[in-house]
Amino acid sequence: MTEAAVIAVRALTKAFGARPVLHGIDLDLRRGEFLGLVGPNGAGKSTLLRILIGLYRRSAGDVRVFGLDPATDSLAIRARCSYLPGETSVYLQMTGREFLAFAQSFQRQRDDVLRQRLEDLFALPLERRVRSYSAGMKQKLAILAALSAEAELYLLDEPDRALDATMRAELRVVLQELHRAGRTIVLSSHHLEELQELATRLEFLRDGRLVPAVEVERARSRLLHRFRVRLAGDRALPPGCRELQRDADGMLVLESDGPPLQWLRQLDPAEVRAAEIGHTRLEDLYQLLFLPHLDAAGASAADAAAARATR
Amino acid sequence: MIAAKTWREVRYMALVYVLLLLLLDLPVILLWPTVYDDLKKSSLFKTLGIDFMQRIGTGITDTREEIAYRNWIAVMLFFRAVNLLGIAAAVLMGTALFARERETQTLEFLLTRTVSRGRILWQKSWPTILCVAVPIFAVNASAVYWSRVIELDLPWGPLMLASLHGSLFVLAILAFTTFVSVLSRVQAHVAFWVGGVVVLQIGIYLVPRWRPWSLFRLSDFDWYGPMLAGNIGLDGMFDPVHGAGHSAWMVLAIVLFYGLAWRALHRLEP
Repeated sequence: MTEAAVIAVRALTKAFGARPVLHGIDLDLRRGEFLGLVGPNGAGKSTLLRILIGLYRRSAGDVRVFGLDPATDSLAIRARCSYLPGETSVYLQMTGREFLAFAQSFQRQRDDVLRQRLEDLFALPLERRVRSYSAGMKQKLAILAALSAEAELYLLDEPDRALDATMRAELRVVLQELHRAGRTIVLSSHHLEELQELATRLEFLRDGRLVPAVEVERARSRLLHRFRVRLAGDRALPPGCRELQRDADGMLVLESDGPPLQWLRQLDPAEVRAAEIGHTRLEDLYQLLFLPHLDAAGASAADAAAARATR
Repeated sequence: MIAAKTWREVRYMALVYVLLLLLLDLPVILLWPTVYDDLKKSSLFKTLGIDFMQRIGTGITDTREEIAYRNWIAVMLFFRAVNLLGIAAAVLMGTALFARERETQTLEFLLTRTVSRGRILWQKSWPTILCVAVPIFAVNASAVYWSRVIELDLPWGPLMLASLHGSLFVLAILAFTTFVSVLSRVQAHVAFWVGGVVVLQIGIYLVPRWRPWSLFRLSDFDWYGPMLAGNIGLDGMFDPVHGAGHSAWMVLAIVLFYGLAWRALHRLEP
């Protein structure tokens, strides 16, 4: 492990009884990186984070966080880490203020400036009992407790769960600031657009395995042929392109055989109301990597539509 | 902070427990002269088919009031203080310790803080131990004082030893409940399992042939009676080789169950 490596995972395997959850994970994270963990429910994202923080024991392999083994040195790791659990973990019988004081009693260092800012931002009724909070308010309180710890590494398991769009945007700004301040962050989320915006690196977990970089690159290359266009009228598409999806607002998701721009040149410019080329959406990448059946179904439907149009 | 949090969670239960102990303790002492007169006239206990009830009846209707009164206190220790309120308090306070944390999904928060699992167990346990054991010891031991109000004397030493044993018995139940609480995901399951064990033990106790295998044999009238009569001392309580050593088994059970709870918590993956 290099000096700058914050996390080094080798051949990590985790099974609950006979049920394997993680298989041979290899992962390195350098200081200052912002890693986004992407994967469907049950892919093993939370389990990986729980092993890193020392909550779960690995079945095989080697894990190092700050050069320490979470199985034996979890307290030393946690002293430099802030972890936000995947399930909202707050004490209902406490007031918001009491919960924050309780959470901070375990923190070696606090970022009081950030805490005050988050308090102002979230505007939580901290004198009220947590029992009376909504799901979103409870999550805000958990985030407030996790982010007000001054840590070198933040392990955040779906922090944006139950937050509305405005709060998600605000959280995004805070996380960007933390990252700019040199903190290392691992973020698991199902909000793919936000992950794409925040993370300097993405890792995809599928059935407990990291999707190989080659496969991700292949999918990315394929996505270079995928583009969006909104056309005037309802004419049949010129050959060399398949319709994958048609949104309610008339936007088409197409996949061309050659470069999209070359295909678009076949159209009369007056017909093209809007076009988006060359932007690899994480959502599309996710669909290719995790939902190939949907992609294939979309393609078949498009082929059938094209065949009908030809007849 | 964990200890303070635990205290906040159990303090009202502890208060109710103390009040109930006092409520059930003072009248039975202060009303003893009246009760004794009525008991002497009654043949209820002697006609009961259950052997230990007959022994209790014989004991508390002894013609020597001092002996009868000691037996009365032994009955109170057996039924009321230890095996009724003591067990109830231990189970009620013990079930919540870990199972409720799992149920409300806060255990993950707790186990990922900068505090070891052993320390979590300790900081959750000691306030509960104090809340369960101190009141029962203090209320039982206070019988020395209240007995003087009705102009009867209780021997200070034997009563302290009997109160100590009662507290140890309740602590053993608390330790067992804590262990089951670590293993369980739902608080109601802890109550079900511990309650089930207690009911089973009561059933075993009621059958004379099986009674030696009942845990209640370690804390019943046949134990407290001789103890208050001064026939079982400290050595008899803690020496299982030469004496009954019931208190030694209690201490062993407390250590064993807290040890098992620590081991289970150490391995726990919530």
